[in-house]
Amino acid sequence: MSKMSNKQKHVLTVAGVFALVFGIVPQVQAMHIMEGYLPGGFCIAWGALCVPFLVAGCFSIRKKLDGHRSLITLLAMSGAFIFVISSLKIPSVTGSCSHMTGTGLGAILFGPSAVSILGLIVLLFQAILLAHGGLTTIGANTFSMAIAGPFVSYGVYKLCEKGGLQKKVSVFLAASLGDLFTYCITACQLALAHHADTTFFGALGKFLMVFAPTQVPLSIIEGLLTMIIVMGLESYAKPELREIGFIKETK
Amino acid sequence: MIVIDKLCYNSKLRYINAGEKFAFAMMTLLICVINRSIAVAAIVLFLMGILTVFKGGIPLSRYLYFMTIPLVFLLLSTLAVMFHIREVPMDLFAVSFGKWYLTTGYHSFFYGLQLLLTALASVSCLYFLSFTTPVPDILEVLRKLHCPKLLIELMLLIYRFIFVLLETASAITTSQNCRLGNRNYKTSLKSFGMLGSALMVRSVARSRKLFDAMEARCYDGTIRVLSQDQPLKKKEVALIVLFDGTLLLFVLWRRFGV
Repeated sequence: MSKMSNKQKHVLTVAGVFALVFGIVPQVQAMHIMEGYLPGGFCIAWGALCVPFLVAGCFSIRKKLDGHRSLITLLAMSGAFIFVISSLKIPSVTGSCSHMTGTGLGAILFGPSAVSILGLIVLLFQAILLAHGGLTTIGANTFSMAIAGPFVSYGVYKLCEKGGLQKKVSVFLAASLGDLFTYCITACQLALAHHADTTFFGALGKFLMVFAPTQVPLSIIEGLLTMIIVMGLESYAKPELREIGFIKETK
Repeated sequence: MIVIDKLCYNSKLRYINAGEKFAFAMMTLLICVINRSIAVAAIVLFLMGILTVFKGGIPLSRYLYFMTIPLVFLLLSTLAVMFHIREVPMDLFAVSFGKWYLTTGYHSFFYGLQLLLTALASVSCLYFLSFTTPVPDILEVLRKLHCPKLLIELMLLIYRFIFVLLETASAITTSQNCRLGNRNYKTSLKSFGMLGSALMVRSVARSRKLFDAMEARCYDGTIRVLSQDQPLKKKEVALIVLFDGTLLLFVLWRRFGV
């Protein structure tokens, strides 16, 4: 075999690098900040910021449980439901495997205060079992995905309902806006922690730009899927929805 | 169904006291995150990799595959940290687009590199914990650390339900595939939505049955499970203290110099 020319070698190297970079099926998930990505101070600060919400969530759950002890299995099942929904591959356009957040759906169905606690637990399991997110960044992730996003979803949902929009539209808007808000908050968290050599807003712009191609389509898909799920529930599962307190509120 | 969960039950380090493993992973993780230096990150990455793969008996290919999971996030955000769009090029490297430059300087470059390595090292600490310690053991450690009882109870139940629901979900997915439910993009969206609502209905019914079963077995607000305690081994504790102590000394030495 004749020796490869220099040019051929170059082509081969480039092809090899290309295969290495794109051969790995990219995992697109809602933006979990990865383990070790935030400096210690920020981990503690975000964790501390979550504490009031978590305590409030804990009290609200305990109050509910005092009335009906049977709610505990329902709550746990809802937590597992959020986890499973977020761990399933959703159909995506680009061929990469994407995942839903699931917390928007949770907030619409179970209310934001319960979701803060369930979200914390789900994030812990996602870190340990699926390697999404991390233990030191759990505070920051809880804030963006289990507190900020669900509260926005819930707020948008209630507002749309008051405004007399169709239920389909309000669920879609709630879930996708909640997802977008989570993405913005995460970008803010990253920019606050890492803006060496530039301003905070410069860094924020860069983070928003880099993640937009994955996150913006994802939030639209999440909105669509949440809408389909809620519509399905409305038509098949009236008694179950009444049990979790979803229908009572809307009547 | 959850690969990490399966692997950790087969780990050779599974029957070591969970508190030891937890403390080791957390201490190393904290040192790594607070210090953020390339040297410490490299040491930790190497050691945790060796411990998980050779001592724990996790197949190397699996371990490397799991290391690529956070890669998309890592690459994207490190790109954002490293590169700037400026009117003036910086000292290391620049590509011009008309009036603007995509550019980076030595400082940003090393900052990004350090971030990348620290993150990978911390992930290896997390993997050490999750590849060697099953979730019920971790919950037992959390219970000993006086985590609120309500949380522990919810976690225990959620952990159990995850598998029940995953099984249901995979059965539903199979039957949807059989009936050409994922034929094109539109049907697959619809199928996923139907899967979600069916799953919700099943889980509510399931939870009601489970509560009845618990009531029948005298559930009074707490779930008591027997835990299997492995004794602390002096040698292992000494090794852990030695390693983390040395790492800490190394960090202090690097920071303040002697």
